[in-house]
Amino acid sequence: MAEQSGAPSNQVPTAVGRTGQPWSGRAREAGLRLGGLAIAILVVIAIFTFLSKPNTFLTVTNGLGVMRYMSTIAIVSLGLSLVIVVGEIDLSFGYMYGLASTLTAVAWIVWGWPVYLAIILAFVVAMLVGSINAFLVTTVKIPSFIVTLGTGQLMFGTNLLVSNAATLNPSYPTGGHVVDKAQLAWFTGLSNQKLPFDFPMQGLWMIGIALIIGFILSRSLFGFRLKAIGGNPLAAELARLPIRKYKFASFIICSVFASIAAVLDFAFIGSTQPNAGLSLLFPVFAAVIIGGASLAGGRGSAIGTLSGAMLLAVISNGLALLSVGSYLSQFVGGAVTISAVVLDRFTQSLRK
Amino acid sequence: MTAPSDAGLVIRGLRKWYGDTRALDGLDIEARPGEILGIAGPNGAGKSTLIKILAGETRSDDGEIRLNGRPWDTASNRDRVAVVHQEPQLFPNLSVAENMMVGREGTRAQVRHLNERERALMSDLAILEFADRPLGLVPLAIQQRVEIGRALARDARIFLFDEPNSALTQEESTDLFRRMHLLANAGKVVVLVSHRIAELAAHARRVALILDGICTAVLDGDSLTQEGIASGLVTGQIDREAEEQIVVHLGGEAGSALQLTGWTHAKGEFEGINLHVRAGEIVAIVGVEGSGARELVRSIAGFEPGSGQIEIGGRRGRRSAERTSLVSADRQMSLFSNLSIGDNMVSRLSTDIASRGGTLRRGRMTQIAHDLREQFRVKADSVHLPVRSLSGGNQQKVAIAAAIVKRPEVLVLEEPTRGVDIGSKGEIYRLMRTYARDGHAVIIYCTEVSEVFEAADLAYVVSEGRLSDPLVVMNAADVKELARTITRLERHGLSGPAAIAAVPA
Repeated sequence: MAEQSGAPSNQVPTAVGRTGQPWSGRAREAGLRLGGLAIAILVVIAIFTFLSKPNTFLTVTNGLGVMRYMSTIAIVSLGLSLVIVVGEIDLSFGYMYGLASTLTAVAWIVWGWPVYLAIILAFVVAMLVGSINAFLVTTVKIPSFIVTLGTGQLMFGTNLLVSNAATLNPSYPTGGHVVDKAQLAWFTGLSNQKLPFDFPMQGLWMIGIALIIGFILSRSLFGFRLKAIGGNPLAAELARLPIRKYKFASFIICSVFASIAAVLDFAFIGSTQPNAGLSLLFPVFAAVIIGGASLAGGRGSAIGTLSGAMLLAVISNGLALLSVGSYLSQFVGGAVTISAVVLDRFTQSLRK
Repeated sequence: MTAPSDAGLVIRGLRKWYGDTRALDGLDIEARPGEILGIAGPNGAGKSTLIKILAGETRSDDGEIRLNGRPWDTASNRDRVAVVHQEPQLFPNLSVAENMMVGREGTRAQVRHLNERERALMSDLAILEFADRPLGLVPLAIQQRVEIGRALARDARIFLFDEPNSALTQEESTDLFRRMHLLANAGKVVVLVSHRIAELAAHARRVALILDGICTAVLDGDSLTQEGIASGLVTGQIDREAEEQIVVHLGGEAGSALQLTGWTHAKGEFEGINLHVRAGEIVAIVGVEGSGARELVRSIAGFEPGSGQIEIGGRRGRRSAERTSLVSADRQMSLFSNLSIGDNMVSRLSTDIASRGGTLRRGRMTQIAHDLREQFRVKADSVHLPVRSLSGGNQQKVAIAAAIVKRPEVLVLEEPTRGVDIGSKGEIYRLMRTYARDGHAVIIYCTEVSEVFEAADLAYVVSEGRLSDPLVVMNAADVKELARTITRLERHGLSGPAAIAAVPA
């Protein structure tokens, strides 16, 4: 009784966080995690700086290159993190990426649509795919692992049919198709604007999207409830949280973000082929997991996912500069992902 | 007087603590071969702890257990103790025969077949014909017989039946009790733990009452009656404060909060229920597991399918459920373990904690959580601590706070003080009363008479899916009288004239 009557009266007037009231519990946990990630990134940078001679690693040009490289992984994994937080899984984003890229190219180059409409088509299809995933998960009640494994293959099949398994390049359209020069310039500009300090355009897109997801996960009612639903779906049902609606939103956002990354990469690279996106499965999941999201649901943050993507990108870029070959790169990626989770378990057990 | 004897299971001074919670506090009990020993006690009295210790699932902190005069080590004798639960703890994916053999397959890699003895056992238990069926696909009663068969095959000495027939039909129950008597006659130690007082009185030779971790009485012979058990279970632990009582307006001045007419469960757990609850009332729905009481309470909150007419706070049909908040008896289903105490408290709110654009108002969330912590006297240094850092009683307060802050017309609570310490129990009853006095209705699903006596204004007994006439709890002279009346109603099923006479309104 004594402890209750004394303490609260001091605390009631203070507002959250801002007043410097010590945050305990989850906020501190997340802080520790991010601190650990930042240290890991710095250590990796130091190692590669030391190893690369002459110093080609720690340069502005290379740093900006890393940012562009990580942006694809980051944008897709930011979308995925919502699905993970709500306690589901999406394995179809890689195929979504490929399908969005192909649809944009085919509608624009082959069917002769204006590029704007072609991009809108890709996004509409993405929303449809997200809705189908969510419908099968929430209404038909099939586990999301199986649903998205299936819809992924469906999309890959559609992709091959629509593109006829061909590489498409708007600068050199084949088969007598004509591409409007102004539209091509606009499209290329999505990812290739000349920015101050040669800042990569895709990096800017990534930052914008990270801010949106960051807001959703830590500052919005939507994110708060996503975490509750992912943390305990049964309790969420008894509390009448809008589980179905929120799962729809998560799957749709995940598919749409994969499509945004696809269109931006297509604009940057200048061509697309049906296999695009298939190699995303590992790095995207790894970024989300390294970033501290729990595959059981209820936990995850934008800044964590972003840091996870960055760590992977730095390692992959550093290894490429050292010309150690891509075999080692795969090896290190796997080791880093597992180590991150092991470290997380370890620090959690220390605090108990 | 029975002659002192070593025969059977003798337990002396058994103690068990879970952290700061005392589950068993020097329990003394004897179960003799050839008899069925009944054990009765309210939730949290220590019955399941006793079973877990005997089954070797957990160790006692102190005390001794002897079988036929010799010390009995529970851990090394796990195989010789059979526990038959309501839900058998077997392998639903294996066949009945495979389940019989699991753990005794021998060392050879090749698949073993049933031996003669197992076949004989299975045919005695009438489960041989199901030998090749997957266990998950045979009825519960047969699964329980497989459990018994398994235990017999490995020469078990002690048979513990833990609420074994809650989900069985009448015939299946009769058969199960017949087999219990057979086991007892064969010289096994048979213990039956049950909430169903009538069955204890009918089948046990002696019934031990457990309250707060000790055995308070053993009833046998003439003292072993239903009324005797019922009143023994509520011995003098209740002292209802006069100031907590409120006047019940039976005349109906207060507004109507809930009206059920011909309310029927989609799967037949209850039928044709008419119930009227006024604002300001705390109503207890009483009934053992399987009576339909739990389903009735959940259906009011929209979590069990019901048909008929329902009206809550002026809303009819499906939308009426929006005016209710349900707190489950199982805290695993009412709290978000990944969120903080404060976030759990506001987890059901929307417009109170976010702007129109959907931005969280963190300051407001903390403010609400602080207020609730004060009001509900949750013992926590900060509302930002993880909810799992709280004790069971405080977790329950958080769960109820989260439901109440939504200001439902009808607050629905399932066994609100299950697994909660005495101090928190009183607090939770106080909170329920305050909320009811504010002009809302509170409906609680109860299995304990003492809870009905302490918390409720009116009580209805559900038996075989039918609702009794209301009992005015205040009119019961003491908790024992209430216990006797409720027991009588449960026994006779539908409300009879006898029931109303017992506690006149």
